[in-house]
Amino acid sequence: MREITYAQAINEALRQCMKEDERVVLLGEDIGVYGGIFQVTAGLLDEFGKERVIDTPIAEAGFVGACVGAALTGMRPVVEIMFIDFTTVCMDMIINQMAKMHYMFGGQGKVPVVLRVNIGAGRGAAAQHSQSFHALFMHIPGLYVVAPSTPYDAKGLMIEAIKNDNPVIFVEHKKLYVEKGDVPAEGYTIPFGKAEIKREGSDLTIVATHAMVMRSLRAAEEAAKEGIDVEVVDPRTLTPFDKVTILKSVKKTGRLLVADEGHKTCGVAAEISAMVAEEGIFDLKAPVVRVCSPDTPVPFSPPLEQAYIPDVKDLLPALKRLMEYA
Amino acid sequence: MEIKKETLIEFYTTMLKIRLFEERVIALYARGLIPGLAHLYIGEEAVAAGVCAVLRENDYITSTHRGHGHVIAKGADLKPMMAELFGKKTGYCKGKGGSMHIADMEIGILGANGIAGGGIPIAVGAGMSAKWRGTDQVTVCFFGDDASNNGTFHEGLNLASLYRLPVIFVCENNRYGISVGQEKQRLIQDIAIRATSYDMPGVVVNGNDVLEVYEASLKAVKRGWAGEGPTLIECKTYRWRGHHEGDPNQGRRYRTTEEIESWKEGDPIKRMARKLIEDKILTKKKMDDLKNEILEEIEQAVAFANESEFPTIEEMYEDVYI
Amino acid sequence: MATEVVVPMLGITVEKGTIVEWLKSEGDLVEKGEIIFIVETEKVTTEVESPASGILAKIIVPVGVEVPVLTLAAVITEPGEELPAEYATRAIEGPPGKAKVKTQGEQAPVSTTPPQTPATPTGSIEAVPAARKLAQEKGIDLKTVSGTGPGGIIVIHDVEAALKPRVEPAVKVSTLARKLAEKEGIPLEGIEGTGIRGRIMQDDLRRAAEEKAAHGLGKVVQMNSMRKVIARRMAESAVNAPHIYFFTDVWMEPILDFRQDILPDFEKKFGLRPSVNDFLIKAVALNILDFPILNATLKGEEIHILPEVNICLAVALPEGLMVPAIANADKVGLAGIIQQRKDLVQRARSGKLSMDELERGTFTISSLTQYDITYFTAILNPPQSGILTVGKTRDELAMVDGEVEVKKVSTFGLSVDHRIIDGAVAADFLQNLKWKLERPSFTFLTV
Repeated sequence: MREITYAQAINEALRQCMKEDERVVLLGEDIGVYGGIFQVTAGLLDEFGKERVIDTPIAEAGFVGACVGAALTGMRPVVEIMFIDFTTVCMDMIINQMAKMHYMFGGQGKVPVVLRVNIGAGRGAAAQHSQSFHALFMHIPGLYVVAPSTPYDAKGLMIEAIKNDNPVIFVEHKKLYVEKGDVPAEGYTIPFGKAEIKREGSDLTIVATHAMVMRSLRAAEEAAKEGIDVEVVDPRTLTPFDKVTILKSVKKTGRLLVADEGHKTCGVAAEISAMVAEEGIFDLKAPVVRVCSPDTPVPFSPPLEQAYIPDVKDLLPALKRLMEYA
Repeated sequence: MEIKKETLIEFYTTMLKIRLFEERVIALYARGLIPGLAHLYIGEEAVAAGVCAVLRENDYITSTHRGHGHVIAKGADLKPMMAELFGKKTGYCKGKGGSMHIADMEIGILGANGIAGGGIPIAVGAGMSAKWRGTDQVTVCFFGDDASNNGTFHEGLNLASLYRLPVIFVCENNRYGISVGQEKQRLIQDIAIRATSYDMPGVVVNGNDVLEVYEASLKAVKRGWAGEGPTLIECKTYRWRGHHEGDPNQGRRYRTTEEIESWKEGDPIKRMARKLIEDKILTKKKMDDLKNEILEEIEQAVAFANESEFPTIEEMYEDVYI
Repeated sequence: MATEVVVPMLGITVEKGTIVEWLKSEGDLVEKGEIIFIVETEKVTTEVESPASGILAKIIVPVGVEVPVLTLAAVITEPGEELPAEYATRAIEGPPGKAKVKTQGEQAPVSTTPPQTPATPTGSIEAVPAARKLAQEKGIDLKTVSGTGPGGIIVIHDVEAALKPRVEPAVKVSTLARKLAEKEGIPLEGIEGTGIRGRIMQDDLRRAAEEKAAHGLGKVVQMNSMRKVIARRMAESAVNAPHIYFFTDVWMEPILDFRQDILPDFEKKFGLRPSVNDFLIKAVALNILDFPILNATLKGEEIHILPEVNICLAVALPEGLMVPAIANADKVGLAGIIQQRKDLVQRARSGKLSMDELERGTFTISSLTQYDITYFTAILNPPQSGILTVGKTRDELAMVDGEVEVKKVSTFGLSVDHRIIDGAVAADFLQNLKWKLERPSFTFLTV
């Protein structure tokens, strides 16, 4: 099978869906001529023309709201917000409009919008361009939140997102765009609400999202040298969330570490921990540990930013602490 | 401009229906049968009636928190409308939306919006959608004067003109947000002049004159059909009652009785009634009959709402996702 | 500001300790530097000073519970300060019915009768949820499980371990008998009850105590820390170091006469009386200088020949063997050796040896001359590589120049670690030692 990058995988998904369905249109800042700030939409303007690939002005509330209206009236727009940080300027359109219309209109109308954003620090982009607050969207009923960690998952989940009639926040990761992986050339979907066990193990479960999956796998390799057998579970979608797979894993190992790049307080990891504390408490042989970004804005200075990003340096000590509970 | 008799009668009927419906809501709300909030359209009927008269069933409107008038003018059925206000499962939104979120996708009502200016980008999207799909559907976007100070107004109008969308932006300038009067909102007097910032035509019309509203709307619709882009129509109008039911003394905390009374004198329904009588289009009796018919329809709607069930607790969890 | 009192670090290889006595109670005023509790470890029993002055607001680790070092043992607050909330619920359950009992010496066996009021002030037992659930399912009382998790928390492993021995049904005991048992430290296990439905009565206890005194059979003795350590180290040594043994008979008269000769002058000068052992220590130390490989330790694949010659003398105590080391036995004078020996033995008997005194030894001498034992083998004291055994001096007939003579002879044994010391070397060492001891005037020329 050929290897392509995460960014290329998403590009391929968009391309294949746009070919198949005329109703799929793209909007966003610099997605056309420039190909997108991370080159995810490269080549699509040339292939599909400026009617379907629109370089918008800097008016997020305007064009995200427009996608809502367009979706309500028969289109299937995929809109890009350059960094998750910028969703703040169109929060009303996401939280009050997109998420709620189908519900508050009593089941009338549907809003099949895919809103693409990216998270993750590590490129020195500083406090307003490096956040990972995807937890905010997980908190809002009516939105689906997707978190692919590999190129294979990215393509399958994107195609599903476009075909899905619900509004989807498709959360990509800056550091994953260049990561390569095996991706089938043909189109395929990955169902929402199905976690994947990326590594089987028996001593400890790590539930990880986005780049934390790759980092957890590295930590697992290190831990294996000391005889610790780590299981890594990737939820792949945050809403809908696959509780069953996670609880099953916790039952098997009895020790849970949750790794997410958002802040520790009220983040995705906090929700997963609470869910396990509620539904799997008697399987726990040790406290639940979260490995997340600190509760501070992202600092600029490189040594600080490196310390900020949760990685093997944080995962290993945390999982060893868990192993102290025999 | 030559207007057919039928059209004039239609204007009158629509405005009267809105008026009588809203008046019925006052009593129901006061007695607690309509929970939550009610923002009544009384005094502004000519705007909804005039604008919606140019629209076909498959044209779109986005409405506001003060949307009963728009929705009735667009052709909503009073029964599910009243049931929705009561919070019953037979309402337009199965009781889960309420007054501010009434929608009827089948007749192009893309929902009333509780966020000031929230409907503007959505209307823009509907306009883009029509272009993508190659239809001649137009979209009317209703919003208030204070909403025109919000970011979405500027983003929406900019996009609409940039992409030459068939969208008609109808600003119902009733001079107040909740209590903040226009002189506290902006320096400009006429909101219509903002249209020049976005290179689209902006007109000011007398919101109490349904014919003026109609004429401006027709022009705007034709512009839309011709692919020439959007129009901003500012209707100078006034709400007779407070911002919401419960606003003390019909808004006298921030408005004077003189102002309210002077606008009441321009009552668009009385105006049209006079015209119909003068031009011998309808007799007094006919008008009374019409009124009774409407009152009857409203009573049936109230009865329907009263008899209907509330949604079950389980239904709270439905329709979050498809 | 509240001050935390932890079970302190007690030597680099010590990981756990048990508080055997609290010298202060909750609510008492304590002074910085004042001894507030005594902790027993594998190697040594240590007094622990208070790190601050104030009120001993809460005792968290009670007497009798083995905890990892650095466990929070107590909290000291300033007078008038309220105990911070985070400490209020901290507690580690003590073993049942053991208030201020000195655990040096035999411990009463663990009883499976329902425990009395526990020694700790308050009692939520810390256990992880899975352990709690398993204990509940299997009917195990968590109070009888000792926790080995961080901070002494009961982990699933502890409950699983508790599952293995069969939990005996509770023994029926009369109230008076129970009180007597507690007071006298009499174990209830194995006592036949003659009361109603087999209830153990006071008379049964008294009878059992008499019988016990009579033959000492049928007891369960809990291994104390020292015993556990000896067991572990001996097993380690036996398994890891291949031992080879050498024996030789040493003619003792020369050294015995030598001692007699110098004794009066020596005593006059130093006020000390050298024993044969002291000469032995010196002779061995000097011999090591000729055969440094006997003063070595194996670390991985490196043979570390140690820089000091510290000779251990095994001291037999009722509760077990202690092996303090005399430092620099090659360099110090005989007087120095005698002084060190006396001091170490005395302090070993009163449990006051320091970690260093126990850990610095490089070679051991084990002497059982007070017993009627011809010769014996010994297991190396890890991480040492050589150990000398000394048997009882006996009269033996020997042929000297065709004549039968009586000679006083003692059989010396040498065990070495064959990983680093070969037979020839060991034999050479032993032979030379014998030579040194049989020619004391020459050997001790420069002492």
